[in-house]
Amino acid sequence: MFAIEKYHKAATVQETVELLSQNSEAHLLAGGTDVLVKLREGHEQFKQLIDIHDVQELQSIEMLDDGTLSIGAGVSCTRLIRSEIVQAHIPVLAQAANMLGGPQVRNAATLGGNICNGAPSAENASPLVVLDAQVNIVGPNGSRLVPITEFYLRPGKVDLEQNEIVTDFRIAKESYENTGGEFCKYAMRNAMDIATIGCSVICRMDEDRIEDLHIAYTVAAPVPTRCRTAEEMCKGQVPSKALLNDLAKVVHEDLKPRDSWRASKDFRVHVISTLAERVTEKAIIRAGGIIA
Amino acid sequence: MSISFTLNGAPRTVQVEPGKNVQTLLRELGFNSVRDSDDGWGFAGSDTILLDGVAVNATMLIVGQLEDREVVTAESLNVYGQLSAVQSALIDAGAVQSGYNDPAVALVLTDLLQRNPAADRAEVTDALSGIFLRESAYEQVFTAVEIAKERMVNPEHVADVNPEFNKVFDRDMRFVGKASRKVDATRTLKAEKAFVEDFVPADACHLKMLRSPHAHAYISKLDTSKAEAMPGVVAVLSYKNAPDVYYTPGGQTAPEPSPLDRRLFGQKMRHFGDRVAAVVAETPEIAEAALKLIEVEFEVLKPILDVDEAAAEGAPIVHKGLISYSAGAPDDLDEQNADVDPRDGRIHFNFPFGGEPRKNIAAKGHGSIGDIDKGFAEADVILERTYESKQAQQCPPEPHLCLTYMEGDRLVIRAATQVPWHVRRQIANIIGVKQNKVHVIKERLGGGFGSKQDILVEDVCSFATHLTGRTVYFRHTREEEFIATSSRHVAKMDIKLGARKDGTITAIEVDYRFNTGPYGNHALTVPSNAPALSLPLYRCENVKFEITTYYSNIVPTGAYQGYGGPKGNFAMQMILAEMAAELGIDHLDMIQKNRVHEGDELTLLGKVGEGKMPSKIPSASSCALEGILDRGAETLGWGTPKAEDPTKPHIKIGRGVATMKQKSGIADIDQANATVKLTSDGTLICHSGGADLGAGLDTVVTKLVGEVLLSELNDIHVISGDTDHCLFDKGAYASSGTCFSGNAAKLAAEDLRDQILKVAAERLGEPVEQVELVFPATVKGQTGTISFAEIAHFAESGTGCGMLQGKGCFTTPEFAFPYGANFVEVAVDTETGEVELLKFHALLDCGTPINPELALGQVYGASIRAIGHSLSECIKYDEEGRVVNANFADYGTPSLGDLPKDFRAELVASNDQIGPYGGKSVSEIGVNAAAPAIASAIHDACGVWIREWNITPEKVLRALGRL
Repeated sequence: MFAIEKYHKAATVQETVELLSQNSEAHLLAGGTDVLVKLREGHEQFKQLIDIHDVQELQSIEMLDDGTLSIGAGVSCTRLIRSEIVQAHIPVLAQAANMLGGPQVRNAATLGGNICNGAPSAENASPLVVLDAQVNIVGPNGSRLVPITEFYLRPGKVDLEQNEIVTDFRIAKESYENTGGEFCKYAMRNAMDIATIGCSVICRMDEDRIEDLHIAYTVAAPVPTRCRTAEEMCKGQVPSKALLNDLAKVVHEDLKPRDSWRASKDFRVHVISTLAERVTEKAIIRAGGIIA
Repeated sequence: MSISFTLNGAPRTVQVEPGKNVQTLLRELGFNSVRDSDDGWGFAGSDTILLDGVAVNATMLIVGQLEDREVVTAESLNVYGQLSAVQSALIDAGAVQSGYNDPAVALVLTDLLQRNPAADRAEVTDALSGIFLRESAYEQVFTAVEIAKERMVNPEHVADVNPEFNKVFDRDMRFVGKASRKVDATRTLKAEKAFVEDFVPADACHLKMLRSPHAHAYISKLDTSKAEAMPGVVAVLSYKNAPDVYYTPGGQTAPEPSPLDRRLFGQKMRHFGDRVAAVVAETPEIAEAALKLIEVEFEVLKPILDVDEAAAEGAPIVHKGLISYSAGAPDDLDEQNADVDPRDGRIHFNFPFGGEPRKNIAAKGHGSIGDIDKGFAEADVILERTYESKQAQQCPPEPHLCLTYMEGDRLVIRAATQVPWHVRRQIANIIGVKQNKVHVIKERLGGGFGSKQDILVEDVCSFATHLTGRTVYFRHTREEEFIATSSRHVAKMDIKLGARKDGTITAIEVDYRFNTGPYGNHALTVPSNAPALSLPLYRCENVKFEITTYYSNIVPTGAYQGYGGPKGNFAMQMILAEMAAELGIDHLDMIQKNRVHEGDELTLLGKVGEGKMPSKIPSASSCALEGILDRGAETLGWGTPKAEDPTKPHIKIGRGVATMKQKSGIADIDQANATVKLTSDGTLICHSGGADLGAGLDTVVTKLVGEVLLSELNDIHVISGDTDHCLFDKGAYASSGTCFSGNAAKLAAEDLRDQILKVAAERLGEPVEQVELVFPATVKGQTGTISFAEIAHFAESGTGCGMLQGKGCFTTPEFAFPYGANFVEVAVDTETGEVELLKFHALLDCGTPINPELALGQVYGASIRAIGHSLSECIKYDEEGRVVNANFADYGTPSLGDLPKDFRAELVASNDQIGPYGGKSVSEIGVNAAAPAIASAIHDACGVWIREWNITPEKVLRALGRL
């Protein structure tokens, strides 16, 4: 039994925002896979819950008129994996979602929940970062769009006020069009494990040169982080083993892995370098490039 | 709040708080299948339900979320008196062991096959990847899926799941050696009431434990008054009101060869998670709340975390209590007791076995044969190495739990224990009553693996009931499982090996240093089994070993499947592999050259006891290692070219092998008893003392009785593990089930057979030599036949001879040793340090496999658990000795995604003279060879020796010089 003082069920985003405003200690309950663990651990701040499972506006996966993809925050990982739109345009996100927990958890856990809890190891974070996703937030004063890299403030903390809700994640056409992407979760076991390091890369080729390349990591810094120095270095280059080698060194300029009981810092550094080469190589090939 | 939803097709409305956990609600509504192995972490999947048609974890839902939705549980598959296609397929394939998580498997598979009747292996893998099967390792579930597919089309489909093995027994057997349905599988798979948790009445009190946040400390202040005053609190237990009785949590035959060094509650905290106090309350919520009202302060001491710290000069002392002996006290006992600290309590030895508490030594042992100096003098090459293991946890899906209540002046203990009789004896002693006032009922176990050989919840639960008169339920959380049960002993082993250039071993010398943690349960016997279960695998005339077991402040250790074998064998097999490499001899040739052969006298084993020495020197009376090594080399492709990919030069492939052995019970120490009685219609009821822990002992007993008495298996009912209704049995440990409990049942059946034949002969008017048993349940003479029913009817009549009952007691001075080997092929990624198991072939000589399909399941399960301790599993500590990964997500048990790509278990039989119908043990041996086989394969792949479990990518990279 969890001592919950208030439990509301919201039907719309508007109602959710109103309920949040009226109950200043209320938290959202989507899939529940994170909230229930926190409830069991006795976190007092989850005593008031607003269940948003039935909010249909959060459930869509669609392409807007300008080609922007909108992925509802309430979409479960399983739906992400099976979505034709995701598979066709941003398969890297499906790849990541498929690595989260087991099927029972993926059936319940939502994209919004995975991002909004601010976990540094969130599977879906690095794909959204490399895709330049914008977080669509609705509050009492209307909506605002925040780039995902700015949305993450520090471990466990995102740029979301108590009375706001993330409705969807937007990925502009120019961010995904003609790209190839790859995701890798390095963990001690093949399933049901927490990432030691997560990495996503997307790449767009211009003839035989890299037009644009984004690389981001999780668990390699306090929040999911883009390696912009390395990205700049790759622009306009012809892909080669030497370039990948350089990339593996330069990614560290933007990262700050730490020592923990899970893995030592030097081990994480090594894995970061190895993944830089491997994940980037696959992304380049997916984008139609050839490694010289 | 009123919540309406659909439950297994029927509308339901419940009046509950919306924050109530769905798993709790469904259990309260009687849906036993919705179990909980992981306290709602979404790891184990024992709580799987379908919500609006998709599988989710019930523990991760609150009832409010169910409004207007559709819930389906595994009970939806149940039809009275029948099994569904998936249910029967799981049982036939031998996939069901304890059955704790298997209803969830059945639910998920049924859902998958209904949506996709042709689901392939990848889809099955995906669907099952969120269910933790610690016991069976999934492999036979894939067989079950194929059977289920057939059965969904043709319900009459008969599956042949009899594994291939060489038949060594002489006569044609009706049941032994042939697949048959596990006798308890239907009950557990249908989630009928079977486990302790299924019998907890609504008015039971709940016991919750306050545990030490420090690894080593004295309680300097303890005030429980506020907790006691809280409404709904029935009692608070602590060192202030606990009986002043010292015991060992180890469930071993008395007098135990373990120090009696633990009290229900003490003033000294010896590990992170040690017992501070317990609250017994009307509800779990009240108990939890009351724990927070207990005021406690500690005087914190420096913790000892490994054997080197324990042995160091001036080390903190874990046990400074008053030392005493039942017999054989050392001359310097007064000296040892000079610095007693009363806060440490007491420490008692039933007899001397080397314990020196003031040196942090719990036990010592040694043994030797031949002349060790001469042996090394004869060697051309001498290697000296140190090997180490880390701490692994059994992780049974069902945590430790216990339900106790009074029936008049008798205490009833419903327990998930491997040792009902040791529980009865120990509890009677602890609470101070006679054994006839204690009734232990062993329910089905949701996995044990040795951890339920120890008395870890029954003691405090019984005390609470005896103190208050109330029904008390105590169930460990998963965190408590990690920090407060008996995990695997930790070892550091210095081994020295001498060999001639041709590979002949001339001398072996080992110094075993074991870390037993805070209490000395199994402190002598686990370490003694390190040499006993490894060194005799090789012929060597000059052997010497020493054992020292140290106390420390790691979380407790005890018995875990293998019982010293995995560690000892790691050292022995690894140094042999290193020696082979040093001498330029093929590893398998080196094993072949030195290995034990059938008929060998095992002189060294005459020097290692488990509290007392064997009365005769054991021999390898049956041993199929020759066939095992030939077969393994063939299936693995030993010596054939490796399929390395030239485009992936960083992926290195390597092969490794290790042999293994175990025993089948402890000669001269253990005993098992059984009775078999003839009921009025000629059917049979067997009372077996054996404690089936999910591995199939009741099925073994059924088949042995059926084989002797030529009766249908359905006409035999086994009652087991109940101290009121069965006879004494040592319990389920030391791999003794088949050989000891099985033989006792066989002897009882034979006794009954003789009585039946005698009565039948009289009734037929023929001499007894002239009549014989014929199937089914009939005696045939030369003049006619008489059925068991007719015999029983006569026996029970007013002019009869009395109800017929056979009794069997089994003891032996002989050992029956099973043998086996693991053959492994790995791919090592030299850039990431990852080790992939391409092939894992486990071969086993368990003599005649009584239940061959269940034997395979045992081998698969043992293999995956051993792969776990070899690669990914390890209890980790911070500098203060606090466990940092006490949950499934962080600890590292392998799951379905970690199965070897080519995973095989095979039986290669020998004919043993001790076990029933030539059967030897299966249960433990399978964990003993994985670590050295994998480590030697890693060396073969990339040239580095990793001499410490668990072999992480980080250790591989460090060994390769990549970090």
